[in-house]
Amino acid sequence: MKKIKVIGVLIVFVLLLVKCQKSTVFPADQYNDQLSGGDETVFDATSKSFGNIFPGLTGYDVHVHILGDLTFAQTFVTAPAIVHGGLGPIYNNTACTNCHHNDGIGLPTAGDQQSSLLMRISLAGTDDHGGPLPVPGYGLQVQDKAIFGKLPEATVNIVYTTQIVTFPDGTQCELRTPTYTLSNLYTPITDPYLLSPRLAPPMIGLGLLEAIPESEIIANADPNDANGDGIKGHANYVWDIATQSKQLGRFGWKANIASILTQVATAFNQDMGVTNSLLPVESSYGQSQYDGLNDDPELPDSLLNAVKFYAQTLAVPARRNTTDATVERGEAVFIAAKCVTCHKQTFTTGVDVSRPYLSNQVIHPYTDMLVHDMGAGLADNRPDYTATGQEWRTAPLWGLGLYTAVNNPGYYLHDGRARTITEAIMWHGGEAEASKAYFQNLSTSDRNAVLKFLQSL
Amino acid sequence: MKTKLLSILSIAAIAIVIGGCSKSNNNNSTTNTTTLEGQVLTDFSNDLVNPNYQDIQTKASIMNDAVQALVANTTDANLATTRTAWKNTRTSWESCEGFLFGPVEDNSYDPDMDDWPVDKTRLDSLLASSNPLTVSDITPLETTLKGFHAIEYIIFGVGGTSKAANITAREKVYLTSLAQSLYNTTTDLRNSWDPASGNFTAQVINAGKGSTYFSSRQAAFLDLVGSMSDICNEVANEKMQTPFAAQDSTLDESSFSHNSTTDFTNNITGVLHAYLSEYTSTGGHSLSELLAAKNASLNNTLLSEMKAAIASFGTITIPYEQAIYTQKSQIKAVQVSINTLKTSLDNDLTTFVKTNIKD
Repeated sequence: MKKIKVIGVLIVFVLLLVKCQKSTVFPADQYNDQLSGGDETVFDATSKSFGNIFPGLTGYDVHVHILGDLTFAQTFVTAPAIVHGGLGPIYNNTACTNCHHNDGIGLPTAGDQQSSLLMRISLAGTDDHGGPLPVPGYGLQVQDKAIFGKLPEATVNIVYTTQIVTFPDGTQCELRTPTYTLSNLYTPITDPYLLSPRLAPPMIGLGLLEAIPESEIIANADPNDANGDGIKGHANYVWDIATQSKQLGRFGWKANIASILTQVATAFNQDMGVTNSLLPVESSYGQSQYDGLNDDPELPDSLLNAVKFYAQTLAVPARRNTTDATVERGEAVFIAAKCVTCHKQTFTTGVDVSRPYLSNQVIHPYTDMLVHDMGAGLADNRPDYTATGQEWRTAPLWGLGLYTAVNNPGYYLHDGRARTITEAIMWHGGEAEASKAYFQNLSTSDRNAVLKFLQSL
Repeated sequence: MKTKLLSILSIAAIAIVIGGCSKSNNNNSTTNTTTLEGQVLTDFSNDLVNPNYQDIQTKASIMNDAVQALVANTTDANLATTRTAWKNTRTSWESCEGFLFGPVEDNSYDPDMDDWPVDKTRLDSLLASSNPLTVSDITPLETTLKGFHAIEYIIFGVGGTSKAANITAREKVYLTSLAQSLYNTTTDLRNSWDPASGNFTAQVINAGKGSTYFSSRQAAFLDLVGSMSDICNEVANEKMQTPFAAQDSTLDESSFSHNSTTDFTNNITGVLHAYLSEYTSTGGHSLSELLAAKNASLNNTLLSEMKAAIASFGTITIPYEQAIYTQKSQIKAVQVSINTLKTSLDNDLTTFVKTNIKD
């Protein structure tokens, strides 16, 4: 019944597409720039617009996505438990959705149920794979919560100082500079340590980003600035737990995670303390908080894979107002400002006959998937594989204009310090300094046009 | 978070038609419905949401009083009164889940009051300890140690077997704080829409007319319709389906109180409330009225599907955690009934809103 309806609607859809193409709906290059996620685009601009299943999924795939959705929303509790046990003993939050509210970007606070900010921690130097060096007794992440009778590793303290940036037309913009410190350490850390804040990122389109051929990403790398444009993007190569090999980093704010499966397994283990087949050892192993229970892995593979599939198959909302004259002008200015050198508009995903929903999709993620020097202002000064302490992965901008609807009021950048898109732009430095300056010196109407364009994404 | 396979395809198709191909729009009653749209948002807020939230607060206050009486005089009669007060609060809460958008989600009042499952291991450890259990002590605790289900765990017990004589001194202290904490959250929830306080009501009424939350009326209506669909999905495909598919009664949400079927029924009743802009008394201008003016047959379809879905729960005659084993065909029929409604909401009503509400 459902299938027949789907096929029926698809036929109508295809017929309409054919019909519409004659009336110059699409640009000459045969794609519609509204369709940010290719065929896996949804026309939804509501507060739930980041939570839609790929339109192209059918049959059993739909079932797996729904199972993943349920697990993503599920609150975990202390082991032993009849259902959904395995939380902790130390953790950052109790459910995926508590950090990824509405599958969107998180809230930049620490320690509360709705907090979405966590702190990575390491010592100077690298581990055997070239990654960050764990802190004895802490690992690579500060778990600031614990189950009954156990101590959280630390309390994360966030203090902001503000400064005012003034545009030529007199408009002012307040930038918040955060300072992060740890207190109430459960055991002292004797060596100097490095901290990096990471905000839960939006979940849309991850499967499509994973499906971009590595060669297409590498083609844009220019680590030695051979073309002299001042932009020196390069790939981060990181240890991938799922494949036990070095792979191109694609996810995380510093492209420090290679695959969605590794990301999901790591988040269960590190953020929630839920062990799984990829990471079967408790994050507290060797520490005083260790539970000593012989219950690992705590998460069945079926659920691990379902959440991975869920994360791979969340659709991208379509752009709005793409034919608005101001939006079109804003896009032209965005291009003139050379923002697109890093916020690359278009990729085509690789051919994958076993997964047609990910295959050969023309997508508009507005990222080059590379890491760039973003200047001292944004630096965490904590290297992560080949990404230096000043480098961050170009954040995808698709869905940007919906952050307010999805996560009212919405926050931006790796630690949510920016409260508006303007603030986020004004934090750009390093390789992006010239583009930032270009934006800052625009006329009021051009600046507003750029913002209106960004709101259309 | 929501699964809208059919709707997305058809919306995509329709959106392209609207955005790309159609050259004329033959709506001729734009002026009338524009006025009506505003009235619907106003009456939805004033005749349903505000009274519903106020009622939850009132019922939570009665439960808080009942808990205090129970703690002062721990008799089975007072326990029964507390259980009734819990179920009454639950009724008004579950029906407001028919339209979960705005502060109830943004400020996490929902998980704060209604997270599941209860973290029993931790709760038992907490009770066995000498940790202080005042309201301010339990406020920072995880939501799996608070709210409706933690209270349910104490006053009903596993399988509903709790007796007044078995309630320990520590449980009494904890229960007192839990009831007060729940009341506090219902107060926050009520205040969030109260025109005299947080006034989210103004954000809804002024959607597209100065609201900083809804850039258009269409956005407000789409959030409303989306929330109506979401609860249908949550009831039919999550809360009912999970214990049913696994044939595992421990996965049933309100099993301590045997209240799950009532919860489900009230959830879907909340959808009807949202459609009619009414709570306990006859509502004012409503989404139903808007449809009746432009697409009477769809209005009739939606009304009959909502009523059919609500009535279908009557076929489940034993507690849900037992029905999953012995009333399988009835459960399946209820799920079909709700999913039929969900499909109409996702496809027809969403399309209606996108086509007809343009401001």
